[in-house]
Amino acid sequence: MGFGALCAGVLLIALPLRAHHSFAAEFDGNKPVRIEGKVTEMEWINPHAWIHIDVVDPDGKVTNWMVECGPPGILIRRGFTKKSLEVGTEVIAQGYQAKSGSFRANASSITFKDGRRLFVGGSNPDLQENQGKH
Amino acid sequence: MIRMPAPKFAILVAVASAMAIFSPGQSRPSAALNAGKAWTPPKTSWGDPDLQGMWPGTDLLGTPLQRDPKLGTRALLNDDEYTQKEARAKLVGDDAKDLPGVNIGSPIWWLEYGKPTRQASLIVDPPDGRIPPLTPEAIKLGEARDAKFHLTYGVERKVHGSNESWIDDVLALVEPYESNLYDRCISRGVIGSILPGEPGGYNLGNQIIQAPGLVVIRYEMIHETRVIPVDGRPHVGSGVRSYMGDPVGHWEGSTLVVETTNFLGGKLGLLSNGGGTPYSDDLVLTERFTRGSEHTLNYEAIINDPKTYTKPWKIAFPLHLNPNYQMVEYACHEGNYALEDILRGVYAEQTAAESAGKAAK
Repeated sequence: MGFGALCAGVLLIALPLRAHHSFAAEFDGNKPVRIEGKVTEMEWINPHAWIHIDVVDPDGKVTNWMVECGPPGILIRRGFTKKSLEVGTEVIAQGYQAKSGSFRANASSITFKDGRRLFVGGSNPDLQENQGKH
Repeated sequence: MIRMPAPKFAILVAVASAMAIFSPGQSRPSAALNAGKAWTPPKTSWGDPDLQGMWPGTDLLGTPLQRDPKLGTRALLNDDEYTQKEARAKLVGDDAKDLPGVNIGSPIWWLEYGKPTRQASLIVDPPDGRIPPLTPEAIKLGEARDAKFHLTYGVERKVHGSNESWIDDVLALVEPYESNLYDRCISRGVIGSILPGEPGGYNLGNQIIQAPGLVVIRYEMIHETRVIPVDGRPHVGSGVRSYMGDPVGHWEGSTLVVETTNFLGGKLGLLSNGGGTPYSDDLVLTERFTRGSEHTLNYEAIINDPKTYTKPWKIAFPLHLNPNYQMVEYACHEGNYALEDILRGVYAEQTAAESAGKAAK
């Protein structure tokens, strides 16, 4: 209960724009992650689209991460198409890891190798900071 | 960021909005242009008033359900307030980064703003635009819920007459196994399906399709469809209850009147996305759909739940025709990894806490 009460307090202060799912219930704000690798799949599913990214560590071990985006409806209406993010594209996603410790994270945007940035609409406490950078 | 092509959607909304006629009390150039032209509501080939079309709620985004108390009984924004609202809806990219409330969820400029309305609230009755006080019975139920989940919303409930929708976000943290029907992608209820979201929302499509003896209403989120008989049949028996209730419609002139009963109480509230104080089994919704012009559908709903609210209350707003709005499927239960993550997360936390407890012994 102590933990829950603490999180509830934080959430009250944040007074969220009503996301479908609470960021704080799903992701750990103390576990920022930087996911760099090649896109293996984009799942166009509701309530959130998910990008799968293969990350290769220095020993050659491959881990497939999943990155949560906004809903397909929002992505499509903002011009995001199947061609916006092709399989094999090298990207960097910065976000927060799932509280479960699984290889899932959220991201508000992803960055291509050449520095271009593509908003993917996931919930993210760093959103304002990200918006200021592009 | 990659420069996206100008979204056709936004342009089309702007065109549709410019063609539309405002709600009573508002002025718009097209209203003046149309003045003097008699408009006859269209009829279907079988003679019913024709309400068919795509009526998204995009123009309502940014209009709160409940009115800012400092506006009192003033139902419309003044010019300054409206200018601010309009400017906010136009903000994009860096210009929007300082807006409050963008730290969770999609950025506010991703939302589907249409032409903002001058309405100060979607509630039009009581005259202060606020949800009436809850009944003692509903307050008692709410307090029991607070106690069960160790929440402290009694004051909030008494002051505002109802929980705000974000209580469900809080609940998701404190008691994830109690995730609400929206988080579980099951239903937002009737009113929760048509409200634009507070303060922001998306997937705001509403579509009406008619057949002889039937009116069908589709809500984009959560892919909800109401099949409303208008053939004079009575409601189903009182033992049959559901999240969306049993709707029965009839025509009063060119107005479709829909009475919905047989709700499954205690599950969904009447705020956006089905949040807020759960209504009771006794809820009766009376909705009216009237085509005010070729491009305007005036919607109103009277909410009467004497077990929950001390008096009936009413929401009303115009919806504007946008034949170019395309609904995107929102079947989300199957792909709801978010809920899985939330439950896995709480399990991981519980396991860690148990391990820490054992280590301490």
